[in-house]
Amino acid sequence: MSYDDVEIEDMEWNEELQAFTYPCPCGDLFQITKEDLKLGEEIARCPSCSLYITVIYNMEDFLGDSDHKNNKGLQPSKQQPIVVA
Amino acid sequence: MPITRIKLQHGKNSVANSGVQSKKSSCFLDVGVTQCTGGQPNRRKLLEEKRQSRLIDADGEQEIWSWGAGTDGQLGTGRLEDEILPQLLRIPSLSSGAVVSSVSCGGAHVIALTAGGGVLTWGRGNSGQLGLGDMVSSLEPKPVMGLEGCFITHVSAGWSHSGFVSDEGKVYSCGDGSFGQLGHGDFQSRCFPDELLFFSDKHVDQIACGMRHSLALVKGCCGAQVYGFGAGKRGQLGISKKIQSVNLPVLSSELEAAEIVGIAAAGDHSAALSTDGRLFTWGRGFRTNSDAFSPQYLPSPLSFRKVALGWNHALVLTDEGELYMLGGKHHGTLSDSEKLNATNSLPGATNEDNFRAVPAGGIKILDIAAGAEHSVVVTEDGAVKTWGWGEHGQLGLGDTCDHTNPQTVFLRHKLESADFDVKVYSGSGFTVAITTPHAAAKLTN
Repeated sequence: MSYDDVEIEDMEWNEELQAFTYPCPCGDLFQITKEDLKLGEEIARCPSCSLYITVIYNMEDFLGDSDHKNNKGLQPSKQQPIVVA
Repeated sequence: MPITRIKLQHGKNSVANSGVQSKKSSCFLDVGVTQCTGGQPNRRKLLEEKRQSRLIDADGEQEIWSWGAGTDGQLGTGRLEDEILPQLLRIPSLSSGAVVSSVSCGGAHVIALTAGGGVLTWGRGNSGQLGLGDMVSSLEPKPVMGLEGCFITHVSAGWSHSGFVSDEGKVYSCGDGSFGQLGHGDFQSRCFPDELLFFSDKHVDQIACGMRHSLALVKGCCGAQVYGFGAGKRGQLGISKKIQSVNLPVLSSELEAAEIVGIAAAGDHSAALSTDGRLFTWGRGFRTNSDAFSPQYLPSPLSFRKVALGWNHALVLTDEGELYMLGGKHHGTLSDSEKLNATNSLPGATNEDNFRAVPAGGIKILDIAAGAEHSVVVTEDGAVKTWGWGEHGQLGLGDTCDHTNPQTVFLRHKLESADFDVKVYSGSGFTVAITTPHAAAKLTN
């Protein structure tokens, strides 16, 4: 069962991990990469435990970021969601 | 982070009791030496030997135990490993015989407050939350030098930030500031404790650090006030409006009429206790997804003296030593069948946030702590009991199973309540217990 539903805007971009992250109750971070998001993956996993969260986002926001073959003519690359501040 | 309605259990009072005037953090109370000189040379010699690696006091040693998630050094064991059983810590930096009066555990770091007003930190430091001047983790407790000259009376560890309050009412913060949770008017992170100038003309009594927000309790001539800063999307700032984040403290005006004596923050939750034992909560809802943007009084005939917040549950302790719980749809709670048996919905409780009694076999509860998804209590007979999520060993039971009923943790020796004061603290996925012989506990309390 998903531990929580988290909006992408509430996740933080982690340069080191090259992933969007959100605190996991175990102390580590739930993580999901841009590539995952482009593929429509909505599960962000924690590398340290069995928990995972469901990420709420618009896949279109992540398509067209690079020469992505799945670009379905939707709005091309806009700015990436960034750390909420 | 738990809060208690008993004001200033440590620091100031203990110094007054022992007659130590110094406010320098380097001047730890040397309780053991002072009180061990009376007529027990063998014992004294023994203690002198042991103090090289342990904390000591008048009638024995204070012991600090940790267990659970440890991959960021938060257990203080010098290792980067989870521990499924309690580990006794050796803290060379406390070899002067200082007594730890309280501890606060965050996402993966720990802040320990000594009876002499000094501060030690260890664990994850990648955001500067250890206040040691760098952004690296520390596997062992180290003194926070940036607070030298201050007598710290209250500390709080959030997910990745830290707060410190001095006896002069000044408040300092360090760590992750991305959400404004440091309260300095910017979104910068800091690796040294930095004073919040906003409160320079006020007397701050407590700070409470949650996942991405902070609360400050200010005591003044016109009563107590609670301020919030940092992330506010779930209402956790208590400032009556939905706001992404604020980087300067904002007054929670709804609480001005209540005489608040304690505050708590964890996850996206916030709580406060009033002097007459009333409980207020705000932020993310415990049992539903409804958020409260201003403090809500939870009607109850009970008088509460302490509250400990998890990420999906809260433990509340009554003046009579009875334990109740709010929420807990995830791991931190009892099983459904247990809930059914234990449920004692109180008259006047709201439907949404019913207090549920936690059965303790008729034994009084003395102390409580809540991890993100686990619970820890100390019973009157000196036992430490845990339940909830156990995947990282945070229950300290020797396994990684979840437990739905309180289980007794084995702390090497059998504690006798008459001799020891036992306090428990929980970080997100780990637990700390401190056993202090009563003679020393009197000083720290």
